[in-house]
Amino acid sequence: MLKATLRSFLAHKGRLLLSALAVLLSVAFVTGSLIFSDTVSRTFDRLFASTAADVTVSPKEDLDEAVPSGRTATLPGALAERVRQVDGVAAARAEVDVDGLTVVDEENEPVGPTTGAPTLGTAWNPTERSPVELTSGHAPRGDGQALLDSETADRKGVRIGDTLTVIAPPGSFEVRVVGIATFTTTNPGAALVFLDPSTAPTKLLGNPRAATGISVDAADGVTDEQLKQRVAAALGAHTYDFRTADEQAKSDVEQLGGFLDVIKYVMVGFAGIAVLVGVFLIVNTFSMLIAQRTRELGLLRALGADRRQVRRSVLAEALLLGLVGSTLGLAVGIGLAAGLIELMGLLGMNIAADEMVIGWVTPVTAYVVGLGVTFVAAYLPARRASGVSPMAALSDAEVAGVGRPLRVRAVAGAVVGAAGAAALVGCAVSEQTSSAASMLGLGVVLSLIATVIAGPLLVRPVIRVLGAAFPALFGSIGRMSQRNALRNPRRTGATAAALMVGLALVGGMSVASESMTASFDQQIDKTLGADFVIQNTNFLPFPKEVTDEVRGTEGVGLLVRGRFTPVAVRLPDGDRVETTAAGYDPRLDEVANITYVQGDSAAALASGRLAMDRDFARDHGVRVGGTVPVEFPGGRRGELTVGALTDQDAAEGFGTQGGLYFGLATLERYAPGGQDSALYVNAAPGTSDDDLRANLERTLDPYPQVQARDLADYKQLVHDQIAVLLYLVYALLGLAIIIAVLGVVNTLALSVVERTREIGLLRAIGLARRQLRRMIRLESVVIAVFGAVLGLALGLVWGVCTHEVLALQGMTALAIPWFTIVAVVIGSAVVGVVAALLPALRASRMNVLAAIAHE
Amino acid sequence: MGRVTLPSGKVTKSDVHPEEAALSTPAAEHVPGLAPADGIAARARGLTKAYGSGETTVLALDAVDVDIVRGRFTAVMGPSGSGKSTLMHCLAGLDTVSAGQVWLGDTEITGLRERELTRLRRDRIGFMFQSFNLIPTLNALENITLPMDIAGKRPDEKWLDQVIDTLGIRDRLKHRPSQLSGGQQQRVACARALASRPELIFADEPTGNLDSRAGLEVLGFLREAVDQLGQTVVMVTHDPGAAAHSDLVLFLGDGRIVDEMRRPTAESVLERMKRFDVIRTRFDDAPAASEEN
Repeated sequence: MLKATLRSFLAHKGRLLLSALAVLLSVAFVTGSLIFSDTVSRTFDRLFASTAADVTVSPKEDLDEAVPSGRTATLPGALAERVRQVDGVAAARAEVDVDGLTVVDEENEPVGPTTGAPTLGTAWNPTERSPVELTSGHAPRGDGQALLDSETADRKGVRIGDTLTVIAPPGSFEVRVVGIATFTTTNPGAALVFLDPSTAPTKLLGNPRAATGISVDAADGVTDEQLKQRVAAALGAHTYDFRTADEQAKSDVEQLGGFLDVIKYVMVGFAGIAVLVGVFLIVNTFSMLIAQRTRELGLLRALGADRRQVRRSVLAEALLLGLVGSTLGLAVGIGLAAGLIELMGLLGMNIAADEMVIGWVTPVTAYVVGLGVTFVAAYLPARRASGVSPMAALSDAEVAGVGRPLRVRAVAGAVVGAAGAAALVGCAVSEQTSSAASMLGLGVVLSLIATVIAGPLLVRPVIRVLGAAFPALFGSIGRMSQRNALRNPRRTGATAAALMVGLALVGGMSVASESMTASFDQQIDKTLGADFVIQNTNFLPFPKEVTDEVRGTEGVGLLVRGRFTPVAVRLPDGDRVETTAAGYDPRLDEVANITYVQGDSAAALASGRLAMDRDFARDHGVRVGGTVPVEFPGGRRGELTVGALTDQDAAEGFGTQGGLYFGLATLERYAPGGQDSALYVNAAPGTSDDDLRANLERTLDPYPQVQARDLADYKQLVHDQIAVLLYLVYALLGLAIIIAVLGVVNTLALSVVERTREIGLLRAIGLARRQLRRMIRLESVVIAVFGAVLGLALGLVWGVCTHEVLALQGMTALAIPWFTIVAVVIGSAVVGVVAALLPALRASRMNVLAAIAHE
Repeated sequence: MGRVTLPSGKVTKSDVHPEEAALSTPAAEHVPGLAPADGIAARARGLTKAYGSGETTVLALDAVDVDIVRGRFTAVMGPSGSGKSTLMHCLAGLDTVSAGQVWLGDTEITGLRERELTRLRRDRIGFMFQSFNLIPTLNALENITLPMDIAGKRPDEKWLDQVIDTLGIRDRLKHRPSQLSGGQQQRVACARALASRPELIFADEPTGNLDSRAGLEVLGFLREAVDQLGQTVVMVTHDPGAAAHSDLVLFLGDGRIVDEMRRPTAESVLERMKRFDVIRTRFDDAPAASEEN
């Protein structure tokens, strides 16, 4: 039996190749993501572990910054002196590390990364733990001198002697590059500017006696933990945060983790799609192989093989396939990880590829995924194979699956479909975000399963409609291709299902993102009343200097500043909610349209007052006139009086739970040192928008990180941000399509083989090769478009339901991306054409006589 | 004598014994298969078809000269491996020739390119095969008009009606092949071969898969096609009873036309065929070869 299995495996290697590709892709994405994340985390673990001081003292951070406030937490630099007195301390240094800088060259072009990685300003305190060493020039001495990291210098062509402008929170200053510092370890992607430690606090923090942390080195024989205890005891345990090297490294890795997690989730998404679509392809391939080999299996049965042996033989073949696919997938996965690491290098994050980490988990996962997928996918076909009767050997080979009624499918599809529909309806009517989301997930899964089960039943009605124009357009050729697609609904359904899954996901996600875009547009239209908004592209805060320059620009009539701060509010119902609050200048009404349920802007922005979203207030039992204790960063607390209640549909959707805001003066009193995140500008009377724009652009020229945007530009910015999500969707789409194409190729190739005699006859009576190719192409197109239509229909339903969930978050606009949908349908037709290339070529190359005589 | 065509002298797959060729050579002056030059539908001169190369070369057709007379029903007979199907395939432009020339009407088809041959088959030749004659996804009428549809031509409605009525399949036009009996399927195939009014219809064992009644019907229709519709039919068969419906039987042996018979009857054809079989039985100790496909 084993020999027969091996023979059969080798005999069908062409067909199995496509399935092996599907396994390969699934495994490659899984292993690629594992290797990549292992490698990256080890690299950074090492970097942070090697660079962290034995103990680090930093300002107490009690509130997480969900939205950057621009505030740099500091502690007195003199603390270093006190720490030095502690027993067991070998050395203590005051560190100055400020991120969110912008460094520009003489042409006002940014020198740092524009991909979102930070530009850091640091005091030059070289120790043996420094991640960098001076490789040319000399250390910065006094005002106006700086070092630049070598990668940034290389990338932007900066040399020793060049002058750069550093735009820091306290103000811009010019420096001359006097040396280049090179990373001895991995550069996490940031640009680094090093200043003389004596000037750094003034230049970067605006305070000669401030520091951002104290690095403490232990004396011999003192452990990090002991040192931490002693330093904490000396300074007071609750005054600052104390971390040992290990804790500091862990905290640094966590900060970076968010970014790395995104990459990991994306990779897992790809792996998931590959696995899901791959399963369809494998099921289909095995079903077809078994249909083709009905006679052979019947013969085996007639010769005395029992059902179990036949089933095992098929499963053994599947496992062999899984083994080959997993092994190749593992290899490709390593390549994929290497490619990702290279890509990170382009983004400025250099990870040496020879440091690649392949833990034992990786190959184990690869084989578990690869073998698991093939085994699960081949199980049903194997069971069907074991059901082949010995009589099949004697009778004419009927293609299995054609004649069998689809009644079981109809019932199962209807039941699962009804359950899925119920879940989706439940999601649509649900008022709670969490329950709606879980209903949505359930509905998505169930409706997908139902569509896959019922797919073959939909083949006839849908393809009749889709191919209705074929006979009129292409005559007999069109008629034959349409009917060929209808010939084996089970096979057509399964082939199209592979494409359907991917397109359903894409359809759903594009509806959701289009709706989000439309909601933001609506929100912007509704609330934004300013002529121009001045903002950083990445929504990061910018120095006060920018605000001052804008205020002084000719034609600026009204300027309202917006600033964010993390806060925690203690509510009457006992909840403590950490969120982000905004502070605005008075006259907010002139640049924004806010709907007040109670009170007005004047009441909301008055000193010691606070505005809150109506729903949030109701949920937590807050009333106008009541006081709410608010915690600010740095441990400051205030009792603010609720001055107004607003109706902000989108408050939660924008990530600021509660919709809290107050006067900028109030914010400045409790959370000083922040930077502005947005400036709302109205033109002075008599100044046209175009003039004001030109003036603002001239003013902002030295500050490339901020731009002036009108309403349309602002929407575009938001669209661009959401577009990143869409690119991801398109990449997923691409992968799903690649695998689905393999499936269509597979099906067509088999159909061509099965119809050899028919093709021979057609050629004999005068069908030209070109016409034959067109016939196969049209069949392929109709199958692909069928899959696309099914997928998009499902995706639309999912998208609309997702929108219902988003609506609970305030994103009420529903937008259907018709352009994308039409493009996907056209694209699927192209996919059909591409998939038909090889099978059509093969069919047209057939020898007519041999084809006619084919058994 | 000296007609052994295998270069190596080895007896290979087309294992007709050399003596058989000698026995079947007619004594008459008239060269079998040739006819006066007027009214020739298809013609071959020196038509040679060899398979393989070098030591293992097998000649399926050995310098055959043949004329197919217009408006006649010609049957091609011969034992298995005599080359009768190959002759038909070469005349119909389905197969390439190793040497010699073939004309359809005035067109020399040897040397035509694949595309031109396809068009020629489509427009000027009708085909009937032993089985699997119809496209299963098309109904009877769609099958009948298929060659014209492929060519993008409108069928001649009057002619089509005449053909359909002659074959008696009017009430079956909307049926798919799977809903038709074997005889009905062959009638539809016959109608397709006739529908475009080709210069020549090739029928390859058209009754091979039919019971005798259905087979007789189909032969009757081919006869009618010649007599009443003025068509030219070439039929390859191994059944003497089928050959008896033709005007002229060409006998092939060992890749050559070895004899012809006008106004054949089943008995006379059978007698002639037996002369192939005698040799064969004597040397091979095997019954007469059955069909080729």
